Amino acid sequence: MLLPRFSYHQPASVAEALEVLGQHGDQAAIIAGGTDLLVNMKHGKLAPRHLVGLEGIDGLEEIGADNGSLVVGPRLTASALAASGELSGAAQALALGAASLGSPQVRNRATVGGNVCTARPAADMCVPLLVLGAKALLAGPDGPRELPLDEFFLGPGQTAKKPGELLTGLSLPRPAEGSGAGYEKLGLRKALEIALVNVAAAIWLEPDGKTIKQAKVALGAVAPVPMLSPGAEAALTGQTAGEEAFAQAAEAAATDAKPISDHRGSAQYRREVVQVLTRRALGQAWQAALGQ
Amino acid sequence: MDKMRIVLTVNGQDHELLAAPNRTLAQTLREDLELTGTKQGCEVGDCGSCTVLMDGEPVNSCLVLAVQASGKAITTIEGVAEGNQLHPVQDAMVEHGAVQCGFCTPGMVLSAVSLLDKVPDPGDGEIRQALSGNLCRCTGYQKIVEAVQDAASKMERS
Ligand SMILES: Cc1cc2nc3c(=O)[nH]c(=O)nc-3n(C[C@H](O)[C@H](O)[C@H](O)COP(=O)(O)OP(=O)(O)OC[C@H]3O[C@@H](n4cnc5c(N)ncnc54)[C@H](O)[C@@H]3O)c2cc1C
Ligand code: FES
Ligand code: FES
Repeated sequence: MLLPRFSYHQPASVAEALEVLGQHGDQAAIIAGGTDLLVNMKHGKLAPRHLVGLEGIDGLEEIGADNGSLVVGPRLTASALAASGELSGAAQALALGAASLGSPQVRNRATVGGNVCTARPAADMCVPLLVLGAKALLAGPDGPRELPLDEFFLGPGQTAKKPGELLTGLSLPRPAEGSGAGYEKLGLRKALEIALVNVAAAIWLEPDGKTIKQAKVALGAVAPVPMLSPGAEAALTGQTAGEEAFAQAAEAAATDAKPISDHRGSAQYRREVVQVLTRRALGQAWQAALGQ
Repeated sequence: MDKMRIVLTVNGQDHELLAAPNRTLAQTLREDLELTGTKQGCEVGDCGSCTVLMDGEPVNSCLVLAVQASGKAITTIEGVAEGNQLHPVQDAMVEHGAVQCGFCTPGMVLSAVSLLDKVPDPGDGEIRQALSGNLCRCTGYQKIVEAVQDAASKMERS
């Protein structure tokens, strides 16, 4: 399988990258790890004439702090995020999702920026980012802008990123004490598998260690985009953490899900799986929030 | 589509090459450097037969552009043995009958070598996890896992 021909650009700064992107318009594509882009190009689905590599730009491969938030660099790989010590508390959701993506070889290349811009409904890093209330930081010809991730995803493979814009980071609230995360993925096999259903959960506890101050549940592969479950959040806020509250939230999540039937599983089965995985992910998040 | 000057350090040796941007690392290793131990199966990241180590970490060389690998240290299967002295993982694979058709073997060995570099005494689960990106259509994996366990214990003792 041969790749179509293209020129390769290695800009040294975000400004330079925007310039190259501006020059070549829809003939240009950004490449990070290439695990989505190169596959699409080999399959003949895409044939950009210009690839813009991000490896020459400093600062896109670290987790930085900014006024109470963490800024996750778009070029961080799934492997780096899975092993990161900075993603504690609820932010652990991203590390857990990253750890379950693809295979070791894919994780060593796949970046979080690529995962977000590819915007698959089951993307293993997108579902966790939703429960963290992540914002996409974009740079473009008209200056920088921020967009909450749930407004960024528009459909399978479609995002609110304009052509010519670059994702420069993902901003998350700084991990809080008494918070924890859970992640559950069901596939037909354990590795190298896009999820049949994946669920991320995060819980923030009140200082009493029992009452749920806030909780979020996000669902993958059950709608055209990775989605938050407002029903689950409402069922959990202010409740006492435990099996009963989690079961109610799981039911609400299954109601919110809008699955379709495909070769991986039927809609009805997916709804059942959402319930089971939501319960498990919440249990995991609770234990983590308690520091266990 | 101008060719680009790249430097690949392959098995400890520097190679300066002119690479077309659309050449993958796998193609460059096999066709330009004639290191055909790296296999190509699916060519889209699913099988792991093209696994090489890039700065010590396993990657699918079919999904890395040669220009993206410039400046990196690459280990291929040709760089694992020392002269005629097989690496303990290779020895154990032979001893345990973990090689049948052999197509997956180079990638399998590199994933295992990279694991043992980091985790000298891995459990069964860790081994299976580390090899989860390498598909084998022949052996059923059991003998490969046993070979890696055996290699780990021999390396610990030596
Ligand atoms: C064998 C295999 C298994 C996989 N398994 C999984 C899985 O289990 N779960 C999962 O979620 N995904 C999986 N994937 C998909 C893929 O690995 C991920 O989506 C990955 O995170 C993509 O990142 P990348 O850096 O490789 O992206 P690239 O391929 O480099 O880019 C993907 C897209 O994002 C754009 N882009 C990248 N970075 C930026 C940026 N900073 N700004 C603007 N645009 C950008 C590119 O232009 C391109 O359109 C798998 C892929 C393969 C080949
Ligand atoms: S040939 Fe590269 S993963 Fe299959
Ligand atoms: S020995 Fe034939 S594929 Fe593994």
